[in-house]
Amino acid sequence: MSIRTRLTLWYAGIMFVSLVAMGILSYHAFGPEPQTSGHTFGDRPKPDESDESDLGEVFRIIFWCGVPAILLALGGGWWMMRRALAPVAALSRAAAGVNEHNLGERLPRTGNGDELDRLTEVFNAMTERLNQSFARIREFTLHASHELKTPLTVMHGELETALQDQALAAPQREQLESELDEVQRLAKIVDGLTLLTKADAGQIALARQPVRLDELLREACADAQSLARPHDIQVSVTACEELTVTGDRHRLRQLLLNLSDNAIKYNQRKGTVTLSLRRVAESAEVAITNTGPGIPAAILPRVFDPFFRADASHSQAVEGCGLGLSIARWIVSAHGGTIQIASQPNGLTTATVRLPLTAPSLPSGPPRH
Amino acid sequence: MSCSLSAGKSIKLRLMRVLVVEDEKKTASFIRKALQAEGFAVDVCHNGDEAWAAARATPFDAIVLDIMLPGRDGLSLLRQLRERQNATPVLLLSARGEVNERVEGLNAGADDYLPKPFVIAELIARVRALGRRGSETKSPVLRVADLTLDTVTREARRGGVAIELTAREYRLLEFLMRSAGRICGRMAILEKVWDYDFDPGSNLVDVNVMRLREKIDAEFDSKLLHTVRGIGYVMKESP
Repeated sequence: MSIRTRLTLWYAGIMFVSLVAMGILSYHAFGPEPQTSGHTFGDRPKPDESDESDLGEVFRIIFWCGVPAILLALGGGWWMMRRALAPVAALSRAAAGVNEHNLGERLPRTGNGDELDRLTEVFNAMTERLNQSFARIREFTLHASHELKTPLTVMHGELETALQDQALAAPQREQLESELDEVQRLAKIVDGLTLLTKADAGQIALARQPVRLDELLREACADAQSLARPHDIQVSVTACEELTVTGDRHRLRQLLLNLSDNAIKYNQRKGTVTLSLRRVAESAEVAITNTGPGIPAAILPRVFDPFFRADASHSQAVEGCGLGLSIARWIVSAHGGTIQIASQPNGLTTATVRLPLTAPSLPSGPPRH
Repeated sequence: MSCSLSAGKSIKLRLMRVLVVEDEKKTASFIRKALQAEGFAVDVCHNGDEAWAAARATPFDAIVLDIMLPGRDGLSLLRQLRERQNATPVLLLSARGEVNERVEGLNAGADDYLPKPFVIAELIARVRALGRRGSETKSPVLRVADLTLDTVTREARRGGVAIELTAREYRLLEFLMRSAGRICGRMAILEKVWDYDFDPGSNLVDVNVMRLREKIDAEFDSKLLHTVRGIGYVMKESP
C-alpha cells in the first residue's frame, strides 16, 4: 500500500471518528434540552416522540452535511497527499534512473528547506560522492595504463636491441624471444584496458558516417577464412542483404573481426562458422554462428565481462587478451545497438548484433571505392 | 654493442640527421642507440622548449616527437613548427594510442604516427620512410632474388613460374617487397595491408604470411620471407 493511500485512509478514519464525535456531542447538546423544557412546560406525554424526532433530525443533519463533507475532505486529502508526495515520486524516479554514466546529473531542489528538500540534498550529495569515486577509478585506470606503457616500451626496445646481437647463443635467444612475446601480450592487455577505460569515460569519439555493412561482412568473412584455415574450419556467408548503418567503419570492422575470430577460436576441429546479415524490422541483424562446444546458460550473462573466461582456470589453450567481447559490447552500444550470445543444446552458439538502420527509405549510402 | 644487419647498407646513403624528442630518458636512450646503429646521426632533447630551440637552429631530416612532454607538449611544438613553414618530416609518438589522437596529430601536421609501446624496428622503418619520402623510385616491377611482382598486371612469378594470389595476398606481398631488406612490424602490416588502425587481437597477419610463404617459398630451397620473432617479417635473400 502506498503512503498516499495509507495517509488518505487515516485521514478518512479521523474524519469519520470526528463526525461521530460531533454527532454524539450535538445529540447531548440538543437532545436533553427538550426534556428539561418539557419539565418546565409540563408537557409530559410527548417527550418520547419529540426525543425520537430530535434524534432523527440530528442524524439527518449529520448524514446530509457530514457525508458530502467527508467526500470533499477525502478528495481534498487525496489531492493534498499527491502534492505533498510528488517530490518523493520524482526523487524515486530519478534514483531509479541513476547509473554510472549519469552520476554527474543533479536532481532539482525546491529550496524551501523542508524535509523533502533536505532529502534531495542528501541524495545529490550521495551521487556526487559516487561520481567522484567513479571518476577516481577511471582516472586511476587511465593513468595506470599510461604509466604501464612507458616501461613496456623500454622493455620491448631493449629486448629487441638485445636480439639484434648475432653472437647470441640459441638458449639465450630463445629466452629473450619468449620474453618479447610476453611483453607483447602485456602490451595488448594494456591497450585493451586503455580503450575500455576511455570508452567508459566517454573519451572516444566515433565517426558517424554511412557504412555499408554488407561490404564489411564479406571482408570479415575473407579474413575469417584465412584465420580458420589452419583449424580446418569452414567459414561462409549464408545471407547478406545490402544494408547501410551510420557509424565508425574501423570500429565496426573491429567488431565483426572480433566476433568471427571468437567463433573460430571457440570451435571444434572441422567445425563451421556462418555469418549472416539480414534486415529485421528497423535494424540490421548480424548473426555469427559456430559449431563450438556451446556456452552453459549459467555463465552466458558474464561472457561480456573483462577477463572472463568460460573455463575458470584461465587456461592459455585459447590465445587472447580476454577483452575481446567487452570491446565488442562497447562498440555495439556506442552505435546504439544490442548484442547477445545464445547457445543451443546441440552446441550451436550464435552471437547476434542488432544495429539501428539509417533512413531505410533512402538509397543505401554513397558508392565507395 | 650489437651490430645491425642493414647498417652497412644505410651508410651508403647520405647521413640522415634525426632529432629525438622524448622526456623518458630510457626510451630516448634506446631510440638513440637503435637509430645510431642504423647509421643515423641522432640528437636528443628531453623537453619541448629545448626541442623548439634545436629544431629552429638545425635543419633535421626527421623529428621523432613524443606528445607528452614537459615544457611545451609535442602537438603545440608541431603546430608552431608548421606555422613557421618548417616542413621537417615528423613522426609522432604517443602512449595514448587512440584514433582521435592520431587524427589530431596528423591534422597538426605530423607525417606519421606510432603508438607506444612500439616495436623499434617499426620506428626505424618509419623514420627511414620519412627521410626517403618523395625520392622513392616506383618501378612497376618489384624484384627480390628470383621473385618478381608486376604491380601493373598484378602478376607474381618465382623462377619464371606464375603464382596465384588472392587480392589480400597480393597487397601483402607488394608491401613486403617494397620494404625488402627491412623488417615490417605486424602493426605496420595491419595498417598498410588491411587498413586497420587497431590491433584486432588475432593472428591475422601471421596466418596470411604463412599462406603466402606456402605459395612463394615452399617449393624453393632459398627462402625469401623470414620471421623476426616478436616483431614481424622481412623479405630478403637468405644470407
